[in-house]
Amino acid sequence: MRQFILLIRRYWNIILFLLLQGICFSMISKSHTMQGNDIVNSSNSISGYVYKKQNDVVYYFQLKRLNDSLLNENARLRNLIAGNSNIDTFRDAIATIPVTAKDTVITTTKDSTGAIKITSTGVTKVVRYASYYYIPARVINNSIANDKQNSITINRGSADGVGKEMAVVTGNGIVGRVENVSEHYATIVSVLSDRKTAAKLSDGTGPYFPIWDGNSPDYLITEKVPSYVKIKRGDSIYTIGSSFYPENILIGTIAKIDTIKASGTKTLKVRLSTNFRKLQYVYVVKNKLSEERNKLEAKSTEKTK
Amino acid sequence: MSVYLRNAFRFILLVLIQVLLLNKISLFWWTSPGGIPPYVPYIYPLFILLLPFATPVWFLLVAGFMMGVTVDTFMNTGGMHAAACVLMAFARTIVLESLLPKRLDEFKTMSPNVKSMGWTPFMTYAAILLTVHHIYFFVLEIWGFQSIGYMFIKVLISLITSLIFVALYSLLFSSSINTIYYDK
Repeated sequence: MRQFILLIRRYWNIILFLLLQGICFSMISKSHTMQGNDIVNSSNSISGYVYKKQNDVVYYFQLKRLNDSLLNENARLRNLIAGNSNIDTFRDAIATIPVTAKDTVITTTKDSTGAIKITSTGVTKVVRYASYYYIPARVINNSIANDKQNSITINRGSADGVGKEMAVVTGNGIVGRVENVSEHYATIVSVLSDRKTAAKLSDGTGPYFPIWDGNSPDYLITEKVPSYVKIKRGDSIYTIGSSFYPENILIGTIAKIDTIKASGTKTLKVRLSTNFRKLQYVYVVKNKLSEERNKLEAKSTEKTK
Repeated sequence: MSVYLRNAFRFILLVLIQVLLLNKISLFWWTSPGGIPPYVPYIYPLFILLLPFATPVWFLLVAGFMMGVTVDTFMNTGGMHAAACVLMAFARTIVLESLLPKRLDEFKTMSPNVKSMGWTPFMTYAAILLTVHHIYFFVLEIWGFQSIGYMFIKVLISLITSLIFVALYSLLFSSSINTIYYDK
């Protein structure tokens, strides 16, 4: 026993070092799961408070830039108002967006030479109306220089109706997904992380999966697009309805197309429409039907296990 | 001011400088010119560098862990800064013993800084330990050696900027560097 205690005393520093490293690694592995680390993140009240105080100061220096972005946002909303006149855009807004599906009707006809000709026509139908609730929030902390996972802290939390796994968008495009929530703050894993986003082209082809490659905060990379898909520079890509973002939100425009002949695919470089360097206001999107959907999906994944 | 109080103040000051000023640098366009990835300089390891010579190793480790976890909380990196900072704290004694002519417990109440060591030894000491910290942190963050050139660039630009900020901090907050020159 005495020998053992002497041994521990002799190597105490190395033991402590290895112990602390072990704690660090368990924290790192926890923070990379979907649930997130509940203690060490900036949605807790102390760091949230510090960031809030800083933002209150810095806010005044950014008013000019903010004005511009709000003017653009206003112009966009005024265009929308023409269509939906009963949405109150000065408060938290409820938007009812039709969820559509295409019915494909295939008809076969024989022409005069006897060859069979197959034509398919698509009829777009409204399946149901999804209700989204937009909660405006101010960005109080923002990072873009991390390699695997960048996060944003906002000044709204569970008291304002923000919950885990909600989509976050701006007037220009997508931002990310809510990861951790405290009472008055929430952290968001931004699109600038190693998680894919489902996307489609404006004519509905897809899904493709743009992902951030860790370099520039202005671009996403989409690999494995079949080379027969007709794309040109400047085309826009949008979110698809079956992901957790609302449908038809702009992700970005295609800046560069590389065709890889060996595999017969194209690699697209997508310029994000959201400027992550100057993020000021975001909207947390609360889907009223998402809880029901998640419950159902959890049930079916349980069965397959 | 007692040595405990001074270090506690320095802890808070360095966390605030790191979180409120240096983390925001990456948001500007000039931090990613011509394809170089955006980067953040890290100044918070300076807290470990400036603790007194005679600090026992276990306290260095615990202090490094506390500092790392605090920075992790603000930056949402969940333990990476803590791991890097603990390794740096562990390496500090070895580096100091090899740089200095005397044994460490012979410097009674002194701390390693520009005034006690001089510019060249202090910056060498800071550069070695910051290199250890940065390499370990970026290995943890990028997790893998596939893109070793990319990691090298990121470590290098981050390290150079960190060292510039360490020098600036020493110029600003060492109250009497100039006395060395007055004595001559």
